[in-house]
Amino acid sequence: MEAFLPITPCSTARTVQPDAPVNLSLETKTSASITYLWAKWSPPPLAAVSSNSHVYHYELRLKPEEKEEWETISVGLQTHYKVTGLQAGVKYIVQVRCMLDLGEWSEWSSERNIQIPNGESPPEKPTIIKCRSPEKETFTCWWKPGSDGGHHINHTLLYSKEGEEKVYECPDYKTAGPNSCYFDKKHTSFWTIYNITVRATNEMGSNVSDPHYVDVTYIVQPDPPVNITLELKKSVNRKPYLVLTWSPPPLADVRSGWLTLEYELRLKPEEGEEWETIFVGQQTQCKMFSLNPGKRYIVQIHCKPDHHGSWSEWSPEMYIQIPTDFRVKDMVVWIIVGVLSSLICLIMSWTMILKGYRMMAFILPPVPGPKIKGIDKHLLETGKSEELLSALGCHGFPPTSDCDELLIEYLEVEDSEDQQLMPSHDNPSKNMKMIPKETDSDSGRGSCDSPSLLSEKCREPRALPSALQTQDVRAVQENKGAKRSWETQCIASEQEALLFNNESTKSSTWPAVQLLPNNQLPVFAYHSTVEAHTIMLSTTNVNISSVLVGNEEKHQSRYPVAEAVHDNMEKQREMEYSTTEQTTVQVKQNRHNDKSPFLNPKLMDYVEVHKVRQDEEPTVLLKHKDNNGKTEKYTVPGTSKEYTKVSTVVDHNILVLMPDSRIQHTPVSQEPAMETSQNLQQGQAEKNMSYCLTAPSDCKRETSGSEYMDPSSFMPSFK
Amino acid sequence: MPAYIGDAGDSPAPADPSSSVPGSGLRSAMAPARAAGRAGAVAALALLWLLVCGPGDSGCHLLTVADLFDRVIRHSGRIHSLSTTLYAELEKHFPPRDNELGKPARKCHTSGMLTPNGKEYAQKIPREELTHLILKLLQAWKEPLSHFNQHIEHHQELPDDSLSKAKQISNMVHELKTGVEKVTEKMQSMGIISNSLNGMASSEGTGLSISNEANMMSDSDFIHCFRRDSNKVQSYLKILKCRIMPENSC
Repeated sequence: MEAFLPITPCSTARTVQPDAPVNLSLETKTSASITYLWAKWSPPPLAAVSSNSHVYHYELRLKPEEKEEWETISVGLQTHYKVTGLQAGVKYIVQVRCMLDLGEWSEWSSERNIQIPNGESPPEKPTIIKCRSPEKETFTCWWKPGSDGGHHINHTLLYSKEGEEKVYECPDYKTAGPNSCYFDKKHTSFWTIYNITVRATNEMGSNVSDPHYVDVTYIVQPDPPVNITLELKKSVNRKPYLVLTWSPPPLADVRSGWLTLEYELRLKPEEGEEWETIFVGQQTQCKMFSLNPGKRYIVQIHCKPDHHGSWSEWSPEMYIQIPTDFRVKDMVVWIIVGVLSSLICLIMSWTMILKGYRMMAFILPPVPGPKIKGIDKHLLETGKSEELLSALGCHGFPPTSDCDELLIEYLEVEDSEDQQLMPSHDNPSKNMKMIPKETDSDSGRGSCDSPSLLSEKCREPRALPSALQTQDVRAVQENKGAKRSWETQCIASEQEALLFNNESTKSSTWPAVQLLPNNQLPVFAYHSTVEAHTIMLSTTNVNISSVLVGNEEKHQSRYPVAEAVHDNMEKQREMEYSTTEQTTVQVKQNRHNDKSPFLNPKLMDYVEVHKVRQDEEPTVLLKHKDNNGKTEKYTVPGTSKEYTKVSTVVDHNILVLMPDSRIQHTPVSQEPAMETSQNLQQGQAEKNMSYCLTAPSDCKRETSGSEYMDPSSFMPSFK
Repeated sequence: MPAYIGDAGDSPAPADPSSSVPGSGLRSAMAPARAAGRAGAVAALALLWLLVCGPGDSGCHLLTVADLFDRVIRHSGRIHSLSTTLYAELEKHFPPRDNELGKPARKCHTSGMLTPNGKEYAQKIPREELTHLILKLLQAWKEPLSHFNQHIEHHQELPDDSLSKAKQISNMVHELKTGVEKVTEKMQSMGIISNSLNGMASSEGTGLSISNEANMMSDSDFIHCFRRDSNKVQSYLKILKCRIMPENSC
């Protein structure tokens, strides 16, 4: 705004005429019979901006209305002024104007009129506010006086009754307080209309209020009820209910029937918003049901006359706390229910977890597979198409080869032990140590018994099987007994092992079959067709061997393996196979039935059938090196070693076994030549069996330990 | 016993047929109204009949005096409420002449009756007198009410509700009178009050003059007067009851 103001920096006075003041208000005040005139105004509007720098001087003038001369009063800087010395009863005209700092005076403001009141004037009309009867026997009227007009005012209440002309004055001004009139019993008439007026009188005159007609019957407003009691009682089913009792107000005469009161109560929860109002009627007690336990309620009661009147004030608030209905019995029941249900859930979940599969199978039974007579499901499972096809009647498919590689997977070449064994064959201690190492690692080696087990049991000098013994002249003879004993022992052990290993995949190891790992021995690959047998033999060598052995001994039929299966199918296979194909083993068995003596049926004879050829007489030649050095290899069952390593295969039908590393190579080398001739004769099966019984002449640990003979030593001899 | 009801139609007819009262024509016109009122009263009182047994009946359930009193008191309360409502309606439709309540012009025809105007007075006068007073009041309003009914039907601007109320009031007053008479009988038979109800006859005579005055009033004044008297009746009945039987809810 300042930008718009013309500023003359050098001049302090404005030559512009200011505007006149505004909002001039006049007021008369009378005190102590002196009337003052209060005049107030506001500065001109535009001046507010520059009020700091500009100061206004005001001037006021007034004159009575009839007169012509103005009385001017200099006010100064204020915006109000009190004028005295005014004539009462005269109407004055007032104006103000302002000036800025020795500048020009503004115009006079608009006129304002004010009537100076007379020092004394009649009071204004009072007004009767209300009349009330608290008990329908007396009543009181209150009025409100008007302005007093400067003097003390006397009020008089005058009344007249209906039908009467006489006017009475209020009997009692004091009892009910100022500006009130109390009508006592004597002066109260019912069923009559009172005409009540109030007269205000002062020195100047009086004024009468408007008449007020009242019939006392209809102006009853009782006091609130008293003696309110709240009581909690328990009903039959242990639910609490509230019993309220109260008394009528003390002044009300209910006993005579003159005044009949009706009650109404209201309650709400302490934190609730709305009141619930219940009309109770004329009774002085009430039962409240269905209150929320645990909550705090506020209760109030009021009353009114039964016919026309006003409701009393509400009684003071009463609080009641509803106790929580906590029953131990209920809680216990709920606790039990909860525990039981949780237990049931646990049990169900566990059964689901443990037997879920079965339940699923029960609920959703598996789709049955095809059932073809004569076909074993396992054929399909294992994927051995050969058996399947053979079962179906197709032979020779898929084509089999004599490759050794096919059997590679089933043979394990053990490196460490042999190496150690071989050089240390003359080191008994080492060999001793090694033996325990020959624990099965389930290399597919058939074992009648775990080597460790066998070795432990066969520590005594073993007696070669009788069959072996016969061939083993020198060594065996001495140890015959021992060997036999050993045999028995071993057999016993093997038997146990046999039984024990029936089902174990880790079958008892064929003591006779141990390849020298360090040598590049041809891995005996099992012919696929023979695999089953071999495997079976190897895995369940115990059974087979025993059976085979048994057969030999007992001159049993050619179905030794029938009993030696750990699986029915294999059994069948064996049977079939034996019948049709005349396994080497069987043939050998048959041939050498008489040779069985040394072959203890109980011995776990496990010979890994290297190869079986159907066309010729299947031959499994196991070179067994008798520690005696005897050429009779087959009579070497009594080696303490569990394994006799098959060193090599000769001519595809000769298994060269190295029963004892201690055995001289030369004899070993010699043996094959002899054996080739003899072994064929002899029960190769026996040998196979006997290999389990590898009984070195002395069943020495060191010899037995060195079950591995270095094939390289004699290999060339064969070739 | 129809004898009680027959009371309603008895009084005016055998009275002065040669009367020159301007309401004579009106009286004759009241006869059918009376008949109708009688029929209504019969029906209305049926319930009361069944429950209020005569002295000769032995099989019915005898009501106690207290019960009778409660009934009549309730009835009178209903009458009072109805009249208040009707008065309010009439006030709405017919603004008061001078907009003032206590105009001297308003004078009830029963104002001449000396009735206690306070509790103490009501308790002081003898029971018989109080009872008689009640009956007198009721009697005094019988005819004016029926006249009023007839008169008000011509007021087209009034709502039907008001008309029905007026009719109902007159019926109820009749019933109430009958009821009070019964109570009086019972009390007399029980010896609570004496048999000196000699004022009954006189009430019949005064009823006529009273009804004449009632004709002068305006409708709202008429109802105003009636409202007051109904309140009187109710209050007297209550006081009487509590005087006779102070232990019953008094």
